[in-house]
This record gives sequence, C-alpha cells and structure tokens, in this order.
Amino acid sequence: MARNSARLTVGTRRALWGWAFVVPALAFFGLFAFYPIVNAFVLSLHRKNVLSLQPPRFVGFQNYVDLWNSAQFWNSWKATGIFTVSTAVPLVLVSLLLATLIVSRLRLQRFFQMALYTPAVIPGVVAAAIWLMLLDPRGIANQWVNFVLGVSGVDHKWLASPDMVRLSTVLVYFWGKLGFFTIIFIAGLGGIPTSVKEAARVDGATGAQLYRYITLPLLKPTTLLVSIMAMIFCMRTFSTQYLFTQSGAPREPINVVTLGIYTTAIRDYQIGLASAMSIVLLVVMFVLAFLQFRVSRTQDG
Amino acid sequence: MALQTQQIHGGGTRFRRTPLGVVANLLGWALLIVAVLLVLTPVAFMFVASFMPARDILKMPFSWWPDPIIFENFWHAIRGNDGRFIFPRALLNSVFVSGTIAATTVLFSTMAGYGLTKLRFRGAGIVFLFILSTLMIPFETVMIPLYVVITNLGMQNSYAGLIVPFLLSAFGVFLMRQSLLSFPDELLDAARIDGASEPGIFFRVVVPNLWPVMAVLAILTFESQWDNLIWPLLVVQSSELRTMPLYVVTFMEEKSTNEGAMVAVAAISSIPMLIIFFTLSQYFIRGANVFSAGKE
Repeated sequence: MARNSARLTVGTRRALWGWAFVVPALAFFGLFAFYPIVNAFVLSLHRKNVLSLQPPRFVGFQNYVDLWNSAQFWNSWKATGIFTVSTAVPLVLVSLLLATLIVSRLRLQRFFQMALYTPAVIPGVVAAAIWLMLLDPRGIANQWVNFVLGVSGVDHKWLASPDMVRLSTVLVYFWGKLGFFTIIFIAGLGGIPTSVKEAARVDGATGAQLYRYITLPLLKPTTLLVSIMAMIFCMRTFSTQYLFTQSGAPREPINVVTLGIYTTAIRDYQIGLASAMSIVLLVVMFVLAFLQFRVSRTQDG
Repeated sequence: MALQTQQIHGGGTRFRRTPLGVVANLLGWALLIVAVLLVLTPVAFMFVASFMPARDILKMPFSWWPDPIIFENFWHAIRGNDGRFIFPRALLNSVFVSGTIAATTVLFSTMAGYGLTKLRFRGAGIVFLFILSTLMIPFETVMIPLYVVITNLGMQNSYAGLIVPFLLSAFGVFLMRQSLLSFPDELLDAARIDGASEPGIFFRVVVPNLWPVMAVLAILTFESQWDNLIWPLLVVQSSELRTMPLYVVTFMEEKSTNEGAMVAVAAISSIPMLIIFFTLSQYFIRGANVFSAGKE
C-alpha cells in the first residue's frame, strides 16, 4: 500500500469529505448546545451574581435546596402545570374534533385547514397584544360573552382576577396552536388505510361504530404524539405570559417557569439559581421526551 | 416529492344518508363555520381596528365597520412615538436575522445530512446520536448559559449575538438526514463516474433534488425566528438592534402609545408572514406534518 500514501483511496477520501460536511454542525452543537448544558449544570452548583466582579462561588447543591424551599418556585411550577393541562387537553380534543369534521367534508377541506392555521403565522407577541385589547374591560370578549349569557355591562375581569388571567393566557395559546394540531390530525386520519374501513362497513358497522372502533384506535399513535407535543409546547410558553405581566396583569397566577428563569437571571441577576431552574426544567422535559420516544417505539412495533 | 395536499377521503367517517346522518352532517358544517369565524375574529379585529380612530377601538359596542376610515395609525406606527422610525428598522432587523438563520440552517443541515448518510465514515452513527440528543434540549433551558457564552464571546448586543446561537438546528439535521436516506445512490454514483467532486455533487445533484424539503425547513426556521422574543430580550440593549417582537413589547410599554398605533404595529408585523403563508400555504401545511414526523 506504499504507493497509496500520496493518493488516498476512494473510501478514505469519501470519509474525509464526510467529516468535512459534518464538521460545521458538530462544532456548532458542541459550542452552542452541548457546552451550555454542561455549563448550566456547573453554574447551577455556584452562586454567581452577574453584576458582581467576584468569581462564582461553589455552593454544591445549595441552589437546588433553595429552589425546593422556595414558595415562588413551586408556584411557578403550579402556574406551568395548570397552564399546560388546561391548554393541552382542550387543544388535543378540539383539534381532533375539527380534523374529523374537516376530513368528512367533500369540499372546502383546504379552506378550513388554512383558515384554522392562520393564527399560527401571527407572531406570538402580536397575538398577545391583540388579545390584550380583546380582553380589555371594554373589549369584544366582554361584549360577546355578555351577549351569549344574555346580560349586559358585566366585566369578567379577564386580565384582573387570578383565575381569569390564567384562562386568558390559555385562550391566547389555544387560539394560536389549534390549526397546527388540526393539520397533524388530518394527516393522521389520512394515513388510516381505507381498506380496513371498507371491510368494517361491509360487515355492517355504522358511522359512529366505525369511528369508535376503527378510526380512534388506529389514530392512537397520532393522538399520543400530539398530546406529548402539545404538553412540551405548553411548558415552554413565554411571550404571552411576559406581555400580560408587562401590561399589568397579576403576575403570580401566570408566573410560569420560563418567566421565572428569565426574571431570576435578568432582573435578580442570579445566574446560578436561574441555571438550577433550567436544569430542573430540562429534567422534567427530558422525562416527557423519553415518554415520547417510548410512544414512537410502540408505534413501530 | 409532490407538494399537493391531497383531498383526504375516507380518512374520517362519512355520514350516511339517513335522517340522523344528514343532521350530523349539517351540524358538522355549522361547527366548522363557527370555529373558523371565532378563530379569525382576532385577525379581523386587528385589521379593522387599525383603520379606526384610537378612541373607537375600545368603544362599546365595537363597530365592525370603521367610520371614519383613517390611515393615521399606520403613520404613527411607522414613525414611532419619538419620530425615530425604529419600527421599520426593527422589521428589517427581523427579516435580516430570520433570513440569515433560515439560510444557514438549511445549508449546514443539508450538508450534515449528506455527510451522515451518503459519505459514510467511521463514527457517523455517534455523531448523529450526539446531534439527535441536542434535539431534546429545549431552548428555554439553555438560554441562560448560552447568554453567558455569548457574553464571553463579546457578542451581546450585536447582530452576531442574535444570529449565532441559531445558525443550525438539530431538527434541521434530523429532517435532512431522514430525507436523504431515501435519496437514490445511483444519481450520486453517476455523477462520481463523470468525475464530479463531492462539493460539486452536493451543489449540483443533491441540492436541486432536495429543494422542496429545504424550502419547508427554511419556512419553519424563518417562522420560528420571526416569532423569537425571549432571546432578543436577553441579548439586545440598544434600540437600533431591536427585532420586531422586541419592538412590539417595548412599543406597548411606551406611555404615548395609543390603541390605534398599537394595533397598526400589530397589523404591519403580521402582514409579511400572512403573505408568505397565503402564497406558500402548501409548504406550511407540509411543514406542520414534517414537524410532527421529525418529532417521532
């Protein structure tokens, strides 16, 4: 093989090109994904104030202990939990219903898909700003709800009472993501083989039976996937809550974890504590992602 | 790689021609129409209100026909409260930042996907696993350490600081790898026999055949960056560097902002994405599905 020392073999050359194509990605993920995560963990073991010139002081797991004892931290998980459950569950159910209705139409399928998806292309901050006006005491939300309830002049305190503020953030998020999940369900419904249904129909199944015993079971992988995606999306919510608190809504009921991390790092300058909060969030999401992979494996099997 | 969203028949349950079936069918139409109306109300409100005098926007009852129709709100929005025209600048910043990120994400993801699938080298599996593992890291959990990294690199409050952390996405690499797995090797071998170099093959054979997926990735990336508030909020201090979401937030907080100007800012900020959506809706609908496929 001495004569090849100058000229590389085809296989080696190709492998080298392979590395050349992958190196930018590898360097990037090393520096901007992997390193920050390791660094987050290291920082979470230190006490570090951004403004002070003192080097970070090693405090072991003290930040985590502090979080455990912090009422505010538990409150932010409560806020995230309430938001996630009360947004994700209706999202999955309503988008499934809408998708089912849309695929059973013989016309206008595309119109409905596009109309429902439109809010998803409205930027999150813009959506929050618009909803702040709709939910204003003098806004359309009060006008319409009062019209439906047949009363007049009642203020439902969308942005003032703790429970209503929660509901308002849920509404904004639900509105923005509904079309996205509807489209995924439509694809899932389209993936169910027609032959199975025809067979059931020949056997005399009614429409409702067909849906209950054929469509829903076969759609289960999509439903699980959408549920977990919706859950993870909701846990990451930030802009709505940020804008709402900035415009004077009560902070406590909507002080979600991401908002807590931001405030701890940027307002309170506690980088170590914020990192510990990030690590906790990561672990929780990791468990959810693990669930997701379990689901997709069952799906293959 | 047909992009037409096919009419899906038999996917759902079609209603039979019994009296009950007819009622169910009509109920379905009614529900869908109500849902669409409700969903589009905030969008319609935004555009209608942007032509109204500010004092009419929160008038009870809301009038869906502006009277008089005025354009001052848009002028106020573009000029800003201080007359410094920061808003157009913020829009351009967003176009620049999101556009750059979309371009680099597509380029580097496709490159990595090609290297991982078609130029098999020892360790490719581990490299892919490494990249895949970062897919599960949500941005919100790394933003604080990332902020520290960017600050240490001296990039805070700069375009570089806005762009660099998003040059590439694990989702992009994953998506392009999946698409390239089914790419025919014969095409590549034919080009190699013709004496093409690997970069030549990449740009002349792979890219032209893969552009529909690349377009989907570009749109998804652009859209998510166009919407990014939290990162600019962390790294940007000077008003010239504000992106659109950051501008919307700060504009809302300014004392002399009235409802008219606010709603006009909202409308103008929404228009670019709405136009892209209505012209390229196929890609968006495909994008939503690709996204779910990527998550699997």
